[in-house]
Amino acid sequence: MRNPFLRRTDSRQVYYTVNDRFDLSMFIAVLTLLALVFLAIYSSTQNTVIEKGNFLKQSIAVVFSLVVFTVIYNLPTQLIKKSSVPLYIFSIILLIAVLVAGRKVGGAKAWLYFGSFSFQPAELAKVATILFLANFLSRNQTQIDSIKDIFYTLSISGVPVLLILMEPDLGSSLVFAGMLVTMVFWKGISLFGLFLVLSPALVMGAALFGGLYFFLALMIVLAGLIFFKRDLFFSGSILAVNIAAGFFVDFVYDVLSPHQQKRIASFLDPSSDPLGSGYNSIQAKIAIGSGGMFGKGFLSGNQTQLQFIPEQWTDFIFCVIGEEFGFAGSITIMVLYLILFIRILRIANMSKYQFHSLVAVGVLSVFFTHFVINVGMAIGIIPVIGIPLPFISYGGSSLLINMTMLGILFNIYRTRKNYS
Amino acid sequence: MNSERVTNINRSGILITIIVFVALVYTVRLFQLQIVEHTRFDKESTENSVKAIDLTPLRGVFYDRNRELLVENTPAYTIRITPAYYDTSNNRILEKIAGLDPGAIRTILKKNKDYSKFTPIKIKRGVTFTSVAWVEENSELLHGVDYIIELQRGYPAGVHGSHIFGYSKEVSKNQINADQYYTAGDLIGYNGIERKYESVIRGIKGKTFIIVDSKGREISKFKEGYQDIPSIKGIDLVLGIDAEIQRIAEENLKGKAGAVVAIEPKTGQILAMVSAPDYDLNEFSYVTSRDYLRQLATNPDKPQFNRATMSLHPPGSTFKVLCAAIALDMGVIDENTTLYCAGGFTFGRFFKCHGGVHGSINVTRAIEKSCNSFFYQLIFKIGLDNLHEYAKRFKVGVKTGIDIFEETGGLIPNTKYYEKTFGKNWPQGVLVSLGIGQGEISLTPLQLAFYTALIANDGKSFSPHIVKGYLDENKNFAPNVVNEVNTGLKKSAFEIVKKGMFLVVNGAGTATHVRIPGINVAGKTGTAQNPHGKDHAWFIGFAPFEDPQIAICVLVENSGFGGTHAAPIAKKMFESYLLRDKKEIKGQDAKSLLAKN
Repeated sequence: MRNPFLRRTDSRQVYYTVNDRFDLSMFIAVLTLLALVFLAIYSSTQNTVIEKGNFLKQSIAVVFSLVVFTVIYNLPTQLIKKSSVPLYIFSIILLIAVLVAGRKVGGAKAWLYFGSFSFQPAELAKVATILFLANFLSRNQTQIDSIKDIFYTLSISGVPVLLILMEPDLGSSLVFAGMLVTMVFWKGISLFGLFLVLSPALVMGAALFGGLYFFLALMIVLAGLIFFKRDLFFSGSILAVNIAAGFFVDFVYDVLSPHQQKRIASFLDPSSDPLGSGYNSIQAKIAIGSGGMFGKGFLSGNQTQLQFIPEQWTDFIFCVIGEEFGFAGSITIMVLYLILFIRILRIANMSKYQFHSLVAVGVLSVFFTHFVINVGMAIGIIPVIGIPLPFISYGGSSLLINMTMLGILFNIYRTRKNYS
Repeated sequence: MNSERVTNINRSGILITIIVFVALVYTVRLFQLQIVEHTRFDKESTENSVKAIDLTPLRGVFYDRNRELLVENTPAYTIRITPAYYDTSNNRILEKIAGLDPGAIRTILKKNKDYSKFTPIKIKRGVTFTSVAWVEENSELLHGVDYIIELQRGYPAGVHGSHIFGYSKEVSKNQINADQYYTAGDLIGYNGIERKYESVIRGIKGKTFIIVDSKGREISKFKEGYQDIPSIKGIDLVLGIDAEIQRIAEENLKGKAGAVVAIEPKTGQILAMVSAPDYDLNEFSYVTSRDYLRQLATNPDKPQFNRATMSLHPPGSTFKVLCAAIALDMGVIDENTTLYCAGGFTFGRFFKCHGGVHGSINVTRAIEKSCNSFFYQLIFKIGLDNLHEYAKRFKVGVKTGIDIFEETGGLIPNTKYYEKTFGKNWPQGVLVSLGIGQGEISLTPLQLAFYTALIANDGKSFSPHIVKGYLDENKNFAPNVVNEVNTGLKKSAFEIVKKGMFLVVNGAGTATHVRIPGINVAGKTGTAQNPHGKDHAWFIGFAPFEDPQIAICVLVENSGFGGTHAAPIAKKMFESYLLRDKKEIKGQDAKSLLAKN
């Protein structure tokens, strides 16, 4: 029988081993994570009445997303770049659609329903933005340190962020921020350029906390401008943009309904709502801490089985692993992610095309930001922000998009030695 | 395509550093949580899911003096709703079945909406077996509806005893705050003995430990109930009440307004206490229907009012006995002192005597004939403030200290009182009617019964009390400790007065129809003037004369003359109490006793 991996794609290159066309160690790491999903989601939902169907739903999603992964893996690589603009426009349309026609789940208008099928446009926007941003940044004429291109870069990522903030979904917005910073950094932005990119984000974030923080952030920006010693007019405009950004946040906040404002307030200060996110944070720590070295055993975690942690099959799934499989289980998960991250970075380093390299780093930043926020909040290092853990958390949209991004990476890996 | 490669290794190194740094920080944090602080979190996680639930003990039961069970605990069905599973469209039909008012379930659910949706809420206690059977049959349609068996009070002896026993109610928020024993939904004695002895009969709560989930749903018993603490039943009470004469008193007051109090003179124990009309404690054994409460509230005779210990009326002629004893003790008269009755007495105006002209009359005859003129004059010899002070010694005009909270003190006026009411120059004429128990004097039937008991027992007894003693789980009896009451009057004073009371029944007195063959009864009738309608009839008495074992006071409101309406009830009680089981009463022949006087 013919080896499916042994296929001649052009006259000069012949692939002899699996690893030539397929990053096996990364794939095994991901498969292990997917296997853990089944354990964790089964454990966390088997006692619930409403969520019991999650296990089956997630199984279907896993099968479906593996199919999608295979399809994308085998697509012609050129298609990835070509699809970036239409995909971006399509995802922006969906993000607007969800604000108009979306259904409210858990206080955020983040879901589009097509019959019994539901989808989170913010997930699609992640891939679309990575591709479009990589496309833009990899153009020959793009000067990453030019103010004009920085403005374009900010706009490309800013449009989806603003739309997602209006849902409101702060977790996903943070993922876009991480993506933007990582990609422009990879592109080779200068320190000053990075400063220009980061300063509005800093000011906008500070503005959420109130006037004093807004003022302090502006002082930091001013100090930076003095440090970089650009001309007065230029520095003045940057300061003006920053001030405008701060007031824009204020304006958006006022437009939001009181319920959304409350959500943001409790996001900024979990202790302001101890029975809400503060409670979750405490219960999450208890669950993980009580797991000990080897955990309480599968299906034996009382925090999990007695449902002391809300959303334990999505945002707090790491607690299930921590409680039932202990320190050993937690570290295993960490190692698997570490393999994933380093293998992706390896792809970014070995790609011949800047577009591919930027896409790989963009995907890395999305996975990494998810990981940092999700695990960090479960172990009480980061405030509670609703964001899934890649591959492990329950959720079809998230898994599908993660597998799509993985498919793109593997596609890039497959054709890395091709020259056109 | 553009072939410019990103070759900035330095940037890749920075990214790797960031990734490894975060992984290290998270590993250290996980080590801290799962290894270093594991013990603390493990403990917290256990405490999270183990919940202690109070086990309500059985309330102590009440026996009568002959150990007949008066108040017991009987099983009753309680219907509950678990809001998480309950469909409110069933409200109407469930309300009908449980006998609730329309809209009641909504109100109850609203009241409890702050609690976990998985905690069952009691919607109706004490439902009938038919209702429970219906719930059971339709359980498939009634998700979230179940029933439990709880214990409620039952009254097996056929004795109402409404005002003695009292009933329990669900604790109020204030009561929960005041006493940490209670939690929401507990019952607490509301009146009568149930309230006064609450701390004794409520028992000691136990605890059962269960495993609950984050929503408070019960999952299983903790360690198979190995660590459970059983509740300890409350202490049983033995009452001084004699069920038989209590029943007789209740039956004979049926349809009337009035009160009966019977006391054992030597001990101060209450043998019977009835206030009529009374009410059905069974209606209060759990949640009382609104209809029944409305019925009680609108009854003009106020069934919930304890007439025996709270109603205030002038004692009428029954008070003469007390005046006579006081005068004799003070020495202002002796047995032979005679005062003159010319068919009345003039002090400012003419005060009439009844029964014609008695002429010169001594104290025993004055009691026998109930001669008003004698006592009109006697009160001036005693003096207002002496009367007040002496009365206090008999617990007359002050609270007797009976062991229920429902009691009023009554009034024996003194100089101060009149000065306050009429001013410094108050008319001395008001005193005249005090001598015959009219005017401002107002007393409770209990006070009259108790001073009758004191007179019967030569001025010594114990504070009137309902609870004779306690029974522990092994039926060991421990007596109730009560204060001794000693009026300190001369014994001779009582002997003379008692002679007069003997003559009332056995001579040519006003209660001759109370005579009982074989028992020597002594008594005194009275009629309290009632400006609002027919007079109130009084009778006080004790028997047997030689060795008093029971003292009784009967009040029948709005009936007329005491001898006709009140005394016969006392007679039936004497007969029952003293002649029960054909007990031999070693009484002297009444005629020979009469001959001595």
